[in-house]
Amino acid sequence: MTAPVSISLVVNGETHDLTVPPRKLLSDVLRDDLHLTGTHVGCEHGVCGACTILIDGQPSRACLTYAVQMEGHELTTIESVADGETLSPLQQALHEEHGLQCGFCTAGIVMTFEAYLRDNPDPDEAEIRDVLSGNLCRCTGYQNIVTAILKAARVMRQGKRS
Amino acid sequence: MTADTPFTHIGKPLPRKEDRRFLTGKGRYLDDVAIAGALQVCFVRSPHAHAKINGIDTQVARDLPGVVGVFTGKDLAGWTAPLRLAPPIEGLHPVEMTTLPIDKVRFHGDPVAVVVATDRYVAEDAAELVEVDYDPLPCVADTDTALAADAPLVDDTLPDNLVSHQSFSAGDPAARRADADRVVEARFGLHRHTHVPMETRGCLADWDAGRAHLSMHIGTQAPHPMRGQLAARLGLDETQVTVISPDIGGGFGQKIALYREELTVAALARHLDRPVRWREDRLENLTSASHARETQCVTRASVRSDGRITGLELELTEDFGAYCFYPANYMARVIAMILTGPYKIADYAFDVKVVLTNKCGNGPMRAPMAITSWVMEGTIDAVARDLGLDPVEVRRINALGPDDMPYTMATGEVLEDVTPLETLEAAVAGIDLHDFRERQARARKDGRLLGLGLCTVVESTTYGSQFYKAAGIPGSGHEAAWVRLEPSGVVNASVGLMGSGQGYETPLSQAVAEGLGVAPEAVRIQLGHTDVAPYGMGSRGARGATAGGGTLYLCAQKAQAKVLAIAAGMLNLNDTQGLRLHNGQVERRLEEAWQPTGLSLADVARRAYLDPTALPEGITPGLDVSLTYDPPAMTYSNATHACEVELDPATGKLHIARYLVAEDCGTVLNPLVVKGQQQGAVAMGLSGALLEQVVYDENGQNLSATLADYLVATSCELPNIEIIPMHTPNRKTPAGIKGMAEGGIMGAIGVIAGAVNDALAPLGVTAEQMPLSPQRLRALLRGAGNFKPQTKLSNPSATTHDTTTLGTPGTTDRRTDRA
Repeated sequence: MTAPVSISLVVNGETHDLTVPPRKLLSDVLRDDLHLTGTHVGCEHGVCGACTILIDGQPSRACLTYAVQMEGHELTTIESVADGETLSPLQQALHEEHGLQCGFCTAGIVMTFEAYLRDNPDPDEAEIRDVLSGNLCRCTGYQNIVTAILKAARVMRQGKRS
Repeated sequence: MTADTPFTHIGKPLPRKEDRRFLTGKGRYLDDVAIAGALQVCFVRSPHAHAKINGIDTQVARDLPGVVGVFTGKDLAGWTAPLRLAPPIEGLHPVEMTTLPIDKVRFHGDPVAVVVATDRYVAEDAAELVEVDYDPLPCVADTDTALAADAPLVDDTLPDNLVSHQSFSAGDPAARRADADRVVEARFGLHRHTHVPMETRGCLADWDAGRAHLSMHIGTQAPHPMRGQLAARLGLDETQVTVISPDIGGGFGQKIALYREELTVAALARHLDRPVRWREDRLENLTSASHARETQCVTRASVRSDGRITGLELELTEDFGAYCFYPANYMARVIAMILTGPYKIADYAFDVKVVLTNKCGNGPMRAPMAITSWVMEGTIDAVARDLGLDPVEVRRINALGPDDMPYTMATGEVLEDVTPLETLEAAVAGIDLHDFRERQARARKDGRLLGLGLCTVVESTTYGSQFYKAAGIPGSGHEAAWVRLEPSGVVNASVGLMGSGQGYETPLSQAVAEGLGVAPEAVRIQLGHTDVAPYGMGSRGARGATAGGGTLYLCAQKAQAKVLAIAAGMLNLNDTQGLRLHNGQVERRLEEAWQPTGLSLADVARRAYLDPTALPEGITPGLDVSLTYDPPAMTYSNATHACEVELDPATGKLHIARYLVAEDCGTVLNPLVVKGQQQGAVAMGLSGALLEQVVYDENGQNLSATLADYLVATSCELPNIEIIPMHTPNRKTPAGIKGMAEGGIMGAIGVIAGAVNDALAPLGVTAEQMPLSPQRLRALLRGAGNFKPQTKLSNPSATTHDTTTLGTPGTTDRRTDRA
């Protein structure tokens, strides 16, 4: 244990100056210090994927990251995904296809696939299942999540064309 | 739903109301509830499976800056009453436990002390500094050890470790055995599971010293029973405790009981007069929350040569773990009670033993009777193998058909409006069994192992109070609701359930909308707050739709009757004949059509609240209606699962090629939500049958303490599930609702075993234990001398028993003498 240090975190485009102990997990800093409680903590050992956020646009486990490591990086959390009242195509598809139940794993899945669909606009089911295997869901059996991601990809491709 | 549904809102696949907050990160789960200055706790847990506590030195931990206090079982004993479970059930020993152990620990992970600190990190640091002086005791790691004559006692107050033992016999099973053409024995071992809700347990206790009142924020499936338990154990009354359940990140049965940690946190908040919170970490959740299953069954079926089962005997042994948070026979008795399910078997006997061991205690997990359908269908498959009959024909000759309804099972349970033969035929047709058998035969010639399983499920969903009375369990199965039209005409409604992710807010608002005559969007469902919701029995089993939805539906009908009575007065009519509320508007039947009256619900509500002197005679002011409803003793739904697999003989890898469910769950409130429950239940069943396993070594050390060890199925291991929906309404429940959501587990476990054993059939081995991991399947294949295209098919009736243990080869194969 060492003394708290001052850091500057850029989260969802806003800069926050904080004083945190060096051992404090990024997931805890987001939740406790920045009150961004949409990032959930499911296992604290990097398996379940519930805490997935974007670090410089790439999906990462907030529970395996120390906040003090994040100076100079851009962090994106679930709170920034919808555009005001308008859900993203992925969020909208998850709603329409009943791709969530208890919702605890949902933020991690949304963050994983916001990034994945940005880079892979036309995935097939096997590719989606492969990527989704990094996020545990105990409620849905994944079927509707996969359907929703396929639908979101379709909607996003159509949006780009038009 | 079929097109001829009599309902307007019930049966519509409406997307869920709660989705938006979950999708945008605005759900409010326990750990998102903020109370300034809340202290954090961390529990000190036993590293031993069984040990005497000689002493606990807390001084170093207490000296750590930020630590508020460290407390032990002796402290808690001064602040709380022990839990005593002594229902008047024959063969069940009364048990009692203190809030934290005082003299000895009984499993690896047992909490022995609690640290309270200003910060969770500091609390965890301090927990490491608590020195507990243990004397390890001999460990009881399995039921054989537990039942041995000189076994160490898990609970020193009991005469032995057999905490519960019940026998039952109907008809004359011994005579049926004597008359039988064959007696077929089959064995089933379902391993230890745990629930793994994505959100672990936790609570936030807030004591208001001035009012002497506890507010307990806790994700609980059963808020009012939780309140009663908290009050009783803390020496308070129910007016002094409010339980508030925020959004719950999954429960699956793990969030019903009041656990020791939660009671400890509540007691600490009162003792310290400060808010105290606990969030369980995943290690604690996997090792110390609640376990489930670990049940061994043996059946003996007396059969005629045509496959008709004339008698059935069941021996069941459950490894219950170290502590009873439920009566120890709670889960096992349901298995024995409904075992014969879809089949006509009048001569039936069971012997059910529940045994204490040095493991985390068992509790109900989604489908407490999970093993049931595997045992029954596996018995049917064993009969078919033994007699060389088609397993479908054996099912047909024994199945309950439409002419058998209502059917009183040997145990006295009454099945009504269930359709097991119809779902069987739908599944057989849907999976195209004939085509499969041809493909299977061709594949075998190519050295490939294909298998197909069938599993018919009769699921007990909703327990009425008559059931509890007959079972000797204190409690009730009734439910309570209120529907309140506010002065502006908006609708609040509440019921004593609490959802843990199912999506109650949408289907329950459809039930209210249907009964009342408004749009579902106009209804707000208020759940989980004991000062708001009426006293109800909570969410357990699959009672949400029948008990919860049914009660709300009836209550809303009662509310509509009052609305119409007021409306009749406003329209200067003598009575409500020919009036209805539809989409929030009062309509009148004129000339064979519903015509608007110009009155809206808002007009009626204003009259009821703000101008009561203008109400018709005998109508009281306000529009606040409540109702209780007690469902039938038991409500059942049914399904047949069909599954095709390919088993790789070289690696033991199992590929699920197709998975289909024909399910009849009566009237459904929201088919989108029901489908989600069907998919989710099958997924959880498959995950458990194939991958998940709580592993204890011979010293009682839990070896599955992370999610890298306790494997929950990912998207790569689970198939898409095809559903054939069927909707035979139950004639005794409101709107014909039956309930569902656990049967998928029962079906998945049974069908995957059936499919694997069909694939293994040419080798003459049968998997009798789960999980059906690649290691176990390879061991079975190895034990049978492996499979090649030229392998000569064995005599199916000479099937050897599965004695595989974790990844080790089974018994030497009788035919090849090879290990």
